[in-house]
Amino acid sequence: MANGYAGKILLVNLTAKSTSTIDTAKYEEYAGGVGMGAAIFWDLAVAPGDWDLQDAFDPRNVISLMTGPLAATGAPGSGRTSVCGIAPEPFPTPLFHRSSLGGRFGTMLKQAGWDGVVVQGKAERPVWINIINDKVTIEDAKMLWGLNTYETQGQILSAVAGRTRFGEEWHKVGDANTTARPQIVCIGPVGESMSRVASLIHGSGVSARTGGFGGVFGSKNLKAISVIGTGSIQAADPKGIVDLRIEHMQKYGRGMVQAGASCCMPCVNPDRKRNSYYGGESMCADQYWFMGNQMGGADIAIKWGICTWCTKFGGALEAKMPNAPAPFKGIVPMEPGMGWYIKYLYDLGVLGPGKKIESHPLPMDQWDKLTFREVFCDAIARKIGIGADLAEGILEAAKRWGRLEEDLNSGALRLPAYGASWHHSLPGVDWAYSYIFMSGDPMWHGFFTSVSGGRGGPGGGGGPSAEELVQKISAKMVPFSEDPLMLSNCWKGEEARKTGIYSEHKAKMLAWGRRFAGFYNESMSICDMMLPNFGGPSPEIEYRYYQVVTGSKKSFADTMEIGRKIWNMERAIRVMAGRHRDKEQFAPFMFMPGATFNMSGPKPIYVDGKWSFENQDDLYLDKEGVEFFKTNFYKFEGWDVKTGWPTRKTLEGLGLKKVADTMAAKGRLGA
Amino acid sequence: MAESEKAERKKRKVRRRDFLMGSSAAIAAGAVAVCAPESMAFAQAASAANVSYPASTGYIVYDSRLCLGCQSCMFACSMTHEGEANPSLSRIQIIRDAPSFTKYPYDVVMSVCRQCVSPLCVQNCPVGACFVDEKNGNIRRIDQSTCIGCQTCIRSCPQRPHRTVWNPVKNKSTKCDLCADAPYWSQKGGPNGKQACVETCAAKALKLVAEAPSQQDINGYDVNLAPAPKQFGPPGGAPKPAAKTGGA
Repeated sequence: MANGYAGKILLVNLTAKSTSTIDTAKYEEYAGGVGMGAAIFWDLAVAPGDWDLQDAFDPRNVISLMTGPLAATGAPGSGRTSVCGIAPEPFPTPLFHRSSLGGRFGTMLKQAGWDGVVVQGKAERPVWINIINDKVTIEDAKMLWGLNTYETQGQILSAVAGRTRFGEEWHKVGDANTTARPQIVCIGPVGESMSRVASLIHGSGVSARTGGFGGVFGSKNLKAISVIGTGSIQAADPKGIVDLRIEHMQKYGRGMVQAGASCCMPCVNPDRKRNSYYGGESMCADQYWFMGNQMGGADIAIKWGICTWCTKFGGALEAKMPNAPAPFKGIVPMEPGMGWYIKYLYDLGVLGPGKKIESHPLPMDQWDKLTFREVFCDAIARKIGIGADLAEGILEAAKRWGRLEEDLNSGALRLPAYGASWHHSLPGVDWAYSYIFMSGDPMWHGFFTSVSGGRGGPGGGGGPSAEELVQKISAKMVPFSEDPLMLSNCWKGEEARKTGIYSEHKAKMLAWGRRFAGFYNESMSICDMMLPNFGGPSPEIEYRYYQVVTGSKKSFADTMEIGRKIWNMERAIRVMAGRHRDKEQFAPFMFMPGATFNMSGPKPIYVDGKWSFENQDDLYLDKEGVEFFKTNFYKFEGWDVKTGWPTRKTLEGLGLKKVADTMAAKGRLGA
Repeated sequence: MAESEKAERKKRKVRRRDFLMGSSAAIAAGAVAVCAPESMAFAQAASAANVSYPASTGYIVYDSRLCLGCQSCMFACSMTHEGEANPSLSRIQIIRDAPSFTKYPYDVVMSVCRQCVSPLCVQNCPVGACFVDEKNGNIRRIDQSTCIGCQTCIRSCPQRPHRTVWNPVKNKSTKCDLCADAPYWSQKGGPNGKQACVETCAAKALKLVAEAPSQQDINGYDVNLAPAPKQFGPPGGAPKPAAKTGGA
């Protein structure tokens, strides 16, 4: 098997109660992670042609948990597990989406000899999958169903690891000895009831949040996947990988970049110390989103298996925006979501006990208390009272309450596209555009924080000029290095269409981002919080990790081309599920003053032949400008500008003739 | 290793064993070691102290409060020694209590070879494969070509989990050698060199020291490695109190 890969992928058919093996080599051209997951989804769920891909809870849905070749080799931040399939959270219909989770599940899967787990079908009754190296069994989960995620993992731990006490001794797994404990991905009660706001939970605080994949597990009667392994992963250059890691640390400091050879989240010391009060791992953000700054909120969310991202109660940050939409009264939280929205309706007097929207069983007068969060999760998990609406997601709930149009138009529903929560959607327009061309939040922090969000700006003085900055950054953006205009954030007037955020130059930047993220973050599974870091080692360091592990002779441009192939495979799946240019729309608030939330300083703009920095706190989009951009982007990608569908020429140029044939047979090929 | 050196080590081993035959206390220590809990390590070490070995000139100490539990050291150890990534073959074991949710700082156990002053692995090895490497600062090592895979060293290690590591593929025992013999390590290892685990630790939770940590305290190796807290405030430190002025 090629270096970096375990060599095989586990396929579990829950309907047939069977397991089988897919040779990883068959999908190696898709790199790993989402790339392989998407290609397998195409083969198992799209190509047969017997499913319209509309219902995420259909047994024909295929959910994959895939690793990349860098996982379990010591390459930092590369142990993430990519999850993809038809996701139930997006509105108005489920969409093909991907999420990911950190922790140790991915690396343990590799050590057990598997590059990924693919699950299809539906079990007759609750089950969990038990992977011990090559031995895979489908176990009865009757005793686990109804337990929270901590209890579930505790029970499985006892079943798999037996009486071995933590930290005291080695134990036998097959012929090998290990001190490791099984790593488990599971769902809580919120996922069991097929809520669309359910996460996959791993450990004490790691989760795959976006998309609502916890509900997909629930629909398949799949409570958990546990894995323990003792095998080795080969690297092309064992010396090189250790050397590179040390070089990475020495050159770029001891910040966020180095940690996580096995776990993914590259936060340094605070990551573990959170365990002292929140339950550990990467929960700081969960805690903020779900519970303001109160301790304990994250514990509740993780135990119930609810998606803190879908149900945001607000964020740690808020900004004074005098020109923000009226519902915000001049103060906009960075990340308002379901929790914020029900409080808004309560304050408006339309939601509450005996009101038009009956709030039972939520104790609305205790909205800011932990007890409210408990009741909130319970109501959603059991779909009682208002919980039955909330379990379907925020936009579906608003629709049921007859408020969808009004609150979208007022900006109270501050969700950029498909009902996905606000994130760094603006002023980083590439992040915003990714929302509509993908299926919601792209979760791509690295490029944003070091480039498009503006942190590459002049900072406290003495930094590079705008022109120097864009020259420096664009030089790294192979194969589009010749065009620094792609980094202009000019958003006003004709210049915005000519060289700014609606231009063909910006289309190039987005295309670069999708290629890079598709290959390095989503398929090599390198944590996007860590890399790319354009103020530092990117993209060279990612490419070198790829080289020393796999021994590949491909150039960096070649890897970007693989990223393009993955991007087009994802596009093909979305098109087969009904994606069309007409559906790629932003929510109304994105076209209103106050749409942005600028936490990162000025950005480079190009106006009248000159570069300068501009603070874009007031940035918002122009509807016609976005349509103009869509045309530019489709053209650049080789997609039909009327439909947004890839053309045969584009697909065949990427070696995707079979995909083109299937699309043509369904009348979904671009002209 | 040269055959003559092996033969010499075996002879020395026999002499040690002869010596032990006359020391009932030491025999008892060796016998108990098979199932000794960690709390009994002191007694064993004390008993075994009757056997004299030159002290190692290098020890890895650690700070379990700083450790991230990220396993970087484990991957680096197996990669540099075995040429492949496999935490189960790592000679340093970092065990994080997930998913059992023990709270910080008790959620991570760092299992690092202590290069014991009185090494029972060396003392009890029947063939002299586990030896004190006088050419490399007296570190306690296992010669792979001599090891017969009897696992006596594993049973003898008084620590929990045991620091000697079983390689089921090679059917040999291994242990930390401070990277003195790490074929895939680009740098000079050993007590006067660098160790892959120390160098790849992002948290700086591992450190090589020359002086033997306390053998009487099981936490003698778990030390405070936290950097000194940064001083915040105006340049030059806090303003000095105004000089007293004399009364009129």
